[in-house]
Amino acid sequence: MPRHSTKGVLGDFYTPDEALAAAARVRDSQYTHFDFLTPFPIHGMEEAMGQKRSWIPIVTGFLAFFGITLAQTFIYYVMIGDWPMNFGGKPNFAWPSFIPVTFESMVFYAAIGSAIVAIIAGKRDTIPQPHPMKIKTGATIDRFVVWISATDPKFDATEVQRFVTSLGADGVRYVDAEAGNV
Amino acid sequence: MTTARSESLYATVTGDAGLKGVPVILPGAGPYGGDEEIPEPLVTGGKTYQDVDRDICMHTEQFPTRRWWIAFGVALFLLSFLVLGVATLFYSGMGILGINHPVGWGSFIINFVFWIGIGHAGTLISAVLFLFGQKWRTGINRSAEAMTLFAVACAGIFPVIHLGRAWFAYWLVPYPNDRGPLWVNFNSALSWDIFAISTYALVSLTFWYVGLLPDLATVRDRATHPWRKRFYNALSFNWNGSHRAWRHYESAYMILAAFATPLVFSVHTIVSFDFATSIMPGWHATIFPPYFVIGAIFSGFAMVITLMTIMRNVFNLKNYITLNHMEAMAKVIMLTGMLVGFAYTTEFFMAWYGGNEYEGFIFRNRAVGPYGWAYFIMFTCNALVPQIFWFKSMRRNAVVLFTVSILVNIGMWFERYVIIVTSLHRDFLPSSWGMYALTAWDWMILIGSFGLFFTLFLLFVRILPAVAISEIKGVMDPRVSATKRPTATAAVHAPGEV
Repeated sequence: MPRHSTKGVLGDFYTPDEALAAAARVRDSQYTHFDFLTPFPIHGMEEAMGQKRSWIPIVTGFLAFFGITLAQTFIYYVMIGDWPMNFGGKPNFAWPSFIPVTFESMVFYAAIGSAIVAIIAGKRDTIPQPHPMKIKTGATIDRFVVWISATDPKFDATEVQRFVTSLGADGVRYVDAEAGNV
Repeated sequence: MTTARSESLYATVTGDAGLKGVPVILPGAGPYGGDEEIPEPLVTGGKTYQDVDRDICMHTEQFPTRRWWIAFGVALFLLSFLVLGVATLFYSGMGILGINHPVGWGSFIINFVFWIGIGHAGTLISAVLFLFGQKWRTGINRSAEAMTLFAVACAGIFPVIHLGRAWFAYWLVPYPNDRGPLWVNFNSALSWDIFAISTYALVSLTFWYVGLLPDLATVRDRATHPWRKRFYNALSFNWNGSHRAWRHYESAYMILAAFATPLVFSVHTIVSFDFATSIMPGWHATIFPPYFVIGAIFSGFAMVITLMTIMRNVFNLKNYITLNHMEAMAKVIMLTGMLVGFAYTTEFFMAWYGGNEYEGFIFRNRAVGPYGWAYFIMFTCNALVPQIFWFKSMRRNAVVLFTVSILVNIGMWFERYVIIVTSLHRDFLPSSWGMYALTAWDWMILIGSFGLFFTLFLLFVRILPAVAISEIKGVMDPRVSATKRPTATAAVHAPGEV
């Protein structure tokens, strides 16, 4: 699936509640390549758009486990395997003093890894999006914009515009970035 | 559930004067005939979404004001102290500093703990208040997180220059080397510090940047120059506000908050281990981790109040950082101030109750010995001065808030001074007792670190949106924006218009 689409239909809403009501109707319609572009996340939008919960926490779990394993293995190699040192006759495998570094390693991989994966997932786990430099939507300013991409198998410009207007959207328009119609 | 009456309340509050700091209670207005409580708006002045963008982004879009240039000039001047001080230190060696036998940990370790402590409030505001659903954090979290990053940058300098041979600082990192290989000692609290602070700096940076993404897109969409547009578009990774991206974004933001919360507590705990794992009387105490964490939150919130007071006035953000925000922070200051006061008293109680004569002597010496004046400053500024916030009128007085925040920061610097210097200057052997004083070079590097901090902060408010725009929009009443929108015909887009 291409990451960006240059053609599609846009319609504006001005409050999150209107967008939420419209999202449920788009979800139940025949269109699948749709999205809502909003200035801030709207509570309940995932259900309204028919999306499952984000799978990022699963990735976080694996990354946290990786961080713990890496730190434990490395410390074990350094302190017991490669160069064991005698600290007042205490055991080399002094596991309580390995906890702080292990904890920090877990946080490092889980937190930063999740953020990177989430940013990539926002680009990949999606439908063809309007490129923000090519199509101006106003969704980062004050509009709650519904987007139905022309890549949708059931896409028909006139029909989709009629459907988006029936949702109560304002300023419904067909955009074609290649034709300069944005 | 907001009613028609709450709508009019949102529209009529124009500024701080309209806020009382208590919710409006409407008797009998609730859905089942009970009272309805309407919280005061977090954003005043009847702002629309577009107003928010303009008020916050304008500081990145126009030529800096005269006041900004003056502030920046002063900050750069102070920064030159740091550059000159550190350059001289590298050239001449550690002898130019006040540290000597027996006080081998001096102003650099004091400054390190001080700056790391300041950094903690940013993560606390962004992560802990986020997990607790405190919506007032939205007005201050961005600049508080930036403050964290810059404070950690200042803190990071000090342990490195304290090494003496700072050019060997990379020896602190465990990597395969041709010195044996000689690894770092993972049993040492100083080695834990390296991991804790570098993780803290990087996770805070990630948290801050993830929060910035939607706002960078807003700056991009307001930009007119094509290169400015490209620059901010690259920074925002092509963010277009897609809800399919928001879904993962929100999940990751929650995870970052959930990991940053234990991280912030762990970092200052590990900093306190630098002291607590030693056998010095006055340091070797189990109270140290919570005592340090609370002190860090206390000093950090004080610095946030200092910076927010300036930002509210210089950048005209009084509608977004309202007096209610300042009052909430004053309450945190009062609570944490009482907790550090409690910790000071507990230390004395334990010194007496524990029956250890060295411990007992150290604490008597702390309060009434040659450094009693420092203890007096510390106790007054940290435990007594914040008591003024029992009075609501004081919590809502900008001058009092600013003054107390400065006093708390002075007090917290002296707290670290007291802990480090009084424990070291008179230890077990009276024959090795001595005194410690900061030299001019110590002062120069301390003052210079403030220069670095303010230089970075002033650059931040010029280049990036200093208030979290998308989060502010999320706590606003959307009806205010919707009722002020252009009429239906005007709303149809002209090409390129937003």
